Amino acid sequence: MHSAPRLNVSAILINAAALVLVLSYALPYIYLLMTSIKPAADVQQIPPSFFPAVVSFENFREVMRSSTLPRAFINSLIVAVLTTALSLSVAVPAAYVATQYRRRITTIFLLFALVTRMVPSVALGVPLFQLLKSLGLLDTIPGLVLAHTSAAVPLALLLMSAFFEGIPKELEEAARMDGCTRFQAFRKIVLPVMTGGIAVTALFTFITSWNEFLYALLLTSEATKTAPIVIAEYNSVYGLAWGAMTAAAVLYSLPVIIVTLALQKQIVGGLTFGAVKG
Amino acid sequence: MRKILGTSALALVFMAASARAETINILVEGGGEMLQKAVAEKFTAETGIQVNFTVVPYQGVFDKFSAEIASGSSAFDVVTIDVVWNAKFADHVEDLSPLFTDAIRADLPPALLADAKVRDKLIGMPGWANAEIIFYRRDLFDKAEEKEVFQAKYGYPLAPPTTWQQWRDIAKFFTRDTDSDGKIDFWGTDTIGTFSEEWMAHVLQAGSPGVILDKDGQVIIDNEGHKKALEFYISPHCIDHSVPENVNEIGWGEAQNLFYQGKTAMMKFWGHAYKMTPPDSKISGKVGVAPMLAGDAGIAAIPGPWYNVVPSTSQHKDAAKKFIAFAIANNALGIEAPLGLAATNSAYRSYAGKPGYEHFTPLLQTLSAPATRGRPMNEKYQEIVDEAVLPAVQQALTCQADVGEVLTEAKETIEEILN
Repeated sequence: MHSAPRLNVSAILINAAALVLVLSYALPYIYLLMTSIKPAADVQQIPPSFFPAVVSFENFREVMRSSTLPRAFINSLIVAVLTTALSLSVAVPAAYVATQYRRRITTIFLLFALVTRMVPSVALGVPLFQLLKSLGLLDTIPGLVLAHTSAAVPLALLLMSAFFEGIPKELEEAARMDGCTRFQAFRKIVLPVMTGGIAVTALFTFITSWNEFLYALLLTSEATKTAPIVIAEYNSVYGLAWGAMTAAAVLYSLPVIIVTLALQKQIVGGLTFGAVKG
Repeated sequence: MRKILGTSALALVFMAASARAETINILVEGGGEMLQKAVAEKFTAETGIQVNFTVVPYQGVFDKFSAEIASGSSAFDVVTIDVVWNAKFADHVEDLSPLFTDAIRADLPPALLADAKVRDKLIGMPGWANAEIIFYRRDLFDKAEEKEVFQAKYGYPLAPPTTWQQWRDIAKFFTRDTDSDGKIDFWGTDTIGTFSEEWMAHVLQAGSPGVILDKDGQVIIDNEGHKKALEFYISPHCIDHSVPENVNEIGWGEAQNLFYQGKTAMMKFWGHAYKMTPPDSKISGKVGVAPMLAGDAGIAAIPGPWYNVVPSTSQHKDAAKKFIAFAIANNALGIEAPLGLAATNSAYRSYAGKPGYEHFTPLLQTLSAPATRGRPMNEKYQEIVDEAVLPAVQQALTCQADVGEVLTEAKETIEEILN
């Protein structure tokens, strides 16, 4: 005798709420995707249509024919990867020291990092422009990486500090008792525990640089132009090429989606890190 | 022998160095690069001076040039700017008056020459210009049955509209339910609710001495011309119902797409759109063009020119000015570009009879019309439009506001901005 499965109302409600939440976030992206596969003449319809009447990949073909977009994608990738690497190499040890060896100065240091996040990037555009110009770094990859790093480090620092807060100090002390130097304890014991947190921070840093527009606009010209600038160029004063623009945006979003899916386990682990700290 | 070789090597080094110096950098929006590429290539071939284009999105020209000015030095020798920024950048660019020879002055539509002048200084040379003209469905206008019914209903022949009344009549006539489902699915035209330039063109057609501000900088947005123009502008939506209802969602792109998708019979639109009609569009090969509408003051439009300016901080001012002089002398070279625009009368006339360039005659007629003139040359122009003009147009398009009151309120807002 099997008893009929019980209807779990609360589970259904939670799943329904989750579905609504996911849809509310995903709908704009799905609309973008749908627009990218509409024929150019159907992209802006009145009334607007969500699904394409005819599926066309002409917009993607047009984007692929672009002479500037492939180079801009490569520039974006190089800048985002270098910015992520540089930001993490600065922020991870800094956050560790600031949280594990807490002094008045480290608290001020973290507060200062928070304050820099409050300054609108547009206010920093011209000073950065002048600074990089005087260093001869305008329209260069290192110049843009430095500019992006200046914006990404405070974010990485704050995120990593939150993750390091969940690490018991005893972990390093135990490693020290087993003969590790302070640096060895950090590298061999603490860092492996922090992979989830580092993955989350790396992802956010990567996205910050990948999507950044203003600094890329002001600090680059032709040689190092990144993809967000080239995508924006589809909105010309003589018309908005919605089809090509959405196709380029879909292609541009793919690396971030792939990286997020690839690092899903670490990200979830990272986001819940310390959540059950006793 | 060694001495000769050494001297030759040194000469080569100097020549190479001077060749490198003869490079000018141009900051331009995407469409502008296309229009100036052919000129740049010919310029390089004839002078040896290299031309590099830095292409940025529309707003990027303003942002990047502003950053350059703030930094006190410029990587750019020529910047191609929209006319709406002329007043803003006037103090940071060279006076190009010497380049405006009598021949060039005579070859430019008067409105373009007037827009180049800021505080008695000719700050930029027009690269190309655009204006709104009338686009209509030639296939519908040529149809015998339509002609017959229209004549019977309105008492005059169906033809491309030239007056405000004809525009309204024809728009009403073509607005219909083509599939008999009880809903209108084809409109006579559109009304743009997210930009105000089209209304400004009607203001000039109505005979106002200026748009928003007069030549002394006084606010005239509440004068009779502005009122009449606004009443006309909202009438297809509020009275005739000959346009799609969602007017405040209709911008240039939407208006253009409605026409390309075969959902409107006419549109007022920038001339370049004629050459850019998609070949796979329902209306390809069926488009006719005519000059912009005329009011009491005749045909009038707000031109959309772009100007080549030389930043005061440029390191290669002479080469930059040389390029600008060359570009205006060879202005017709840009016409083969996809946007197919020019600035001079002679450039437009040189293509006027060619197939595919049927829009040039009405475009030039509109650009050169005596009542055509530019937007107010004021540094706060964009703020005035965003804070006062566009809200006024949108309020009028609700069909519930008194046009006179709306414009009086706009006047107060503009005076606050200016003071």
